[in-house]
Amino acid sequence: MTSLTGLVAPTERIRAAGRSAVRVPPTVAIAAVVIVIVLLWSLVPWLFTSYDPSVGDTAEKLTAPSGAHWFGTDHLGRDVFARVVYGTASSVTSALVAVSIGLVVGSVIGLASGFLRGAVDVVLGRVVDVLLAIPSFLLAVVIVSSLGFQTINAAIATGVSAIAIFARLMRAEVLRARGSVFVEASYLQGGNRLHALLGHVLPNTYKSVVALAVLQFGTSILVIASLAFLGYGDPPPASDWGLLVASGKSYATAPWLIYAPALVIVITVLSVNRISTWLRRTQ
Amino acid sequence: MSRSYGRYALLRAAQAVIVILLAYVGTFLVISVLPGDPITNMLRDPQNGLTDDEIQQVVAHYGLDKPVVIQLILSLGRFVTGDLGFSLQSNLPVSQLLGDALPSTLTLAGTALLLSVAIAVVIAYGVQYLPSRWARGVLRSVPSLFLSVPNFVVGLILIEIFAFRLHAFTTIDPDSAAATLFAALTLAIPVSAPLAEVLIANLDHESRQEYALVARSRGLSQARLFARHLVKPSMLPAVAMIALIVGELLGGAVITETIFGRDGLGTVVQKAVTSQDVPVLQAVVSLAAVVFVTVNLLADLVSPLLDPRLDATSRRKATRERDATSERKLEVPA
Repeated sequence: MTSLTGLVAPTERIRAAGRSAVRVPPTVAIAAVVIVIVLLWSLVPWLFTSYDPSVGDTAEKLTAPSGAHWFGTDHLGRDVFARVVYGTASSVTSALVAVSIGLVVGSVIGLASGFLRGAVDVVLGRVVDVLLAIPSFLLAVVIVSSLGFQTINAAIATGVSAIAIFARLMRAEVLRARGSVFVEASYLQGGNRLHALLGHVLPNTYKSVVALAVLQFGTSILVIASLAFLGYGDPPPASDWGLLVASGKSYATAPWLIYAPALVIVITVLSVNRISTWLRRTQ
Repeated sequence: MSRSYGRYALLRAAQAVIVILLAYVGTFLVISVLPGDPITNMLRDPQNGLTDDEIQQVVAHYGLDKPVVIQLILSLGRFVTGDLGFSLQSNLPVSQLLGDALPSTLTLAGTALLLSVAIAVVIAYGVQYLPSRWARGVLRSVPSLFLSVPNFVVGLILIEIFAFRLHAFTTIDPDSAAATLFAALTLAIPVSAPLAEVLIANLDHESRQEYALVARSRGLSQARLFARHLVKPSMLPAVAMIALIVGELLGGAVITETIFGRDGLGTVVQKAVTSQDVPVLQAVVSLAAVVFVTVNLLADLVSPLLDPRLDATSRRKATRERDATSERKLEVPA
């Protein structure tokens, strides 16, 4: 009896795991749709609006949201929805650049620390300590002020300030994986260190790192929007989401200039966070 | 305490000093080695009307003609002796600038810290005990909403509603109690989210412990059980996050103070960035690193005293694990 249940249980469990991996909660599905729309905005903005983001009709300035102008118009009569949609490319691309920098540099540092240990770990550990010691937003501000006020520099700054988080997670994951039985087995079978690293350690770390990368994508959108809000990104007529909020705040009678782009930021980041949480839970 | 605790404390303190010095060096390199030389750019600005000779003098005075390594050593030496130099913008000593701005930021950050703890406790209590399942679910998603709203949006919405419509405060007098409270709320909201996450998880764990069941069986009401028995052990792990929270507060102050028009460290940073005031930037970042490292050190030194379960031998391991988990909890909304 016992041996039978022992045989049956694992297959059952595997099937159950397979099912639950496929089943997507409705909120995650909605989040995914939002992300797809946002990505499409950044790739083919002209499909979503017939208005030009930089040309306005001054006769129609500061009109409230309506059927013709979903997000209303700004002080120059430009369609705010068009400005949001066209601003997506720069807002989203720069967040992707930031995550890539954090992911690649952080992972390499964490991988080297966790896998080589010893002096390398000590030295890289202090580098990570230093990066963590400076509040990440302050670090991003200082880097962007040194590089110059452009959106791409804001992205680089955001990425650098995220390196430490990735390095830490990667190091912890590598330490966990390298202490496991399958890595030991790989050594026993005569596998060398590089083989163990690429064949066994790395594949076992990527899931949690991917979940962090998705989460960090949302955080980066927020940080880059904040930098743009402070005026550290591309100047107008660029229409990064943070910049739109910043320029909207001078018109107290037209609150949609703030609320519309703010809502887009919040919904996008909420969706990204929802997907990240789901990825982490389904591991 | 024991000898091993003394050794541990000493080692951690030494490590903290090293990290602070390295943070200074790192900032120096970021500011002065990366492309764009703010000081000479500023001097060459025709508006300043300086002759070439005068520029040479200033450059020599700041040691800018020397190799970077020498500049770094000189600068580090001044930092260690407490000399933060002079602002390029106002010619005032940087220490005076920071000293003037510090009280405002401390008030703001202190209030925000208290508010964020209060918000987190309320959320965690509601998620655990609200009678309606639906309401619990809604409250459960509040932390992740808080993490998705940019700081500046929170601030602008609060100003729009409470200053412009309800007249609860005015932005003309940013240092009034009411204005400070709303600025602190802006800063507290994103910080309260990870705190609430940690509290919710710990509260769930603690309320299933035997001592909680015993207390319930003795007839303690939910609210009293929560207030007298559960809050403290659920908050303890959050103490370890304090350094990260202080960092968040300092970073968030840049935006919050700008929006609310407060004259604090955040505004100093914002002005220094706009005018490329290198000595001020260098000083603020170093100060932030000193604060972070010191708070972290204190949290590390105090937590074994607060929690007797961490004995001397497991302390280093515990610190490391705590770092890893607190990091994850702060960054990842569950």
